[in-house]
Amino acid sequence: MSAGSPVMRAADEQLPLSHREAGLPTPLVGMLLFIASEVMFFGGLFAAYFNARAIHVGEWGPPAGAPELEILPIALPITIVLVASSFTMQFGVWAIRRGDQRAMRRWTLLTLVLGVGFLLGQVYDYTTLGFGISDGAFGTVFYTLTGFHGAHVFGGAVGLTILAARAGQGQFSRQNHVAVEAISFYWHFVDVVWIALFSTLYFLR
Amino acid sequence: MSETAFGYLLLAIGIAFVLAVVYAVTSHVGASTDRPRPRPPRGVHLPNPSALPVIMAVGGALLGIGLAFRADDQPVANPFFAVPGLIVFLYAIVAWVRAAGREWNETERGSHDDAPGH
Repeated sequence: MSAGSPVMRAADEQLPLSHREAGLPTPLVGMLLFIASEVMFFGGLFAAYFNARAIHVGEWGPPAGAPELEILPIALPITIVLVASSFTMQFGVWAIRRGDQRAMRRWTLLTLVLGVGFLLGQVYDYTTLGFGISDGAFGTVFYTLTGFHGAHVFGGAVGLTILAARAGQGQFSRQNHVAVEAISFYWHFVDVVWIALFSTLYFLR
Repeated sequence: MSETAFGYLLLAIGIAFVLAVVYAVTSHVGASTDRPRPRPPRGVHLPNPSALPVIMAVGGALLGIGLAFRADDQPVANPFFAVPGLIVFLYAIVAWVRAAGREWNETERGSHDDAPGH
């Protein structure tokens, strides 16, 4: 991230003169390190998936009697919802960079609604799958991957709720909105992980 | 209403409830804080050694074992593993949050000096 980027400028303007241009603000560094650790975490889960898949060659997929995984009617629409939420999140970031706190709050609340919609859609999808977490290696891996991702989406929803509440208190401005940037990084990360999960689980047969 | 639909409704209510509590608490904290937001002291602050990460991992592992290895007549999880695992896991979360709060208070009170690392 360049020193002239909006994030750096916004973070820089809220620091005392003696501390300016000292690098990324601490909350962003913390979030980036956290996301790096999350990449390793999901890397381990993907490794488990491909390891189990390699061991069960020829019999990989939902257990006998359960229908094949289909992207319709649930998986694809909730994917579109989650991807759309990344856009609304970014619109919120751009709004607060302009100093428009009301617009930022509106976009954040819309992102929150889309995130919760994704979660509910995913749970509904679980009820239609016809297999559970203990139904073979595929069931265990499927529910572990999507379950942990869902937990991360819920964590992001909590973060978005905090952002909306703080925006309601007037705590963000054009100069002071590092928390908005940090949560947006996390939300985009969760979105990217789902795209990888969706592609792996539903398209790799 | 079918059992599945009822569970689905309960989950939706649970999510909405948790988010509403988070919103209310955050709004309350923001509204009641007149003093400037606290800043950590200069220098590098390192947390004290703690067994809580290990305790939480043990709780999480027990919970996972309980979910993965259940008998046919156990609908959700094996309670002999899952219940102690859940208790240990929740205890670790609460203890960790309290420890972080204590640590922050100690840091705010200035018990640390401005040495480069402590």
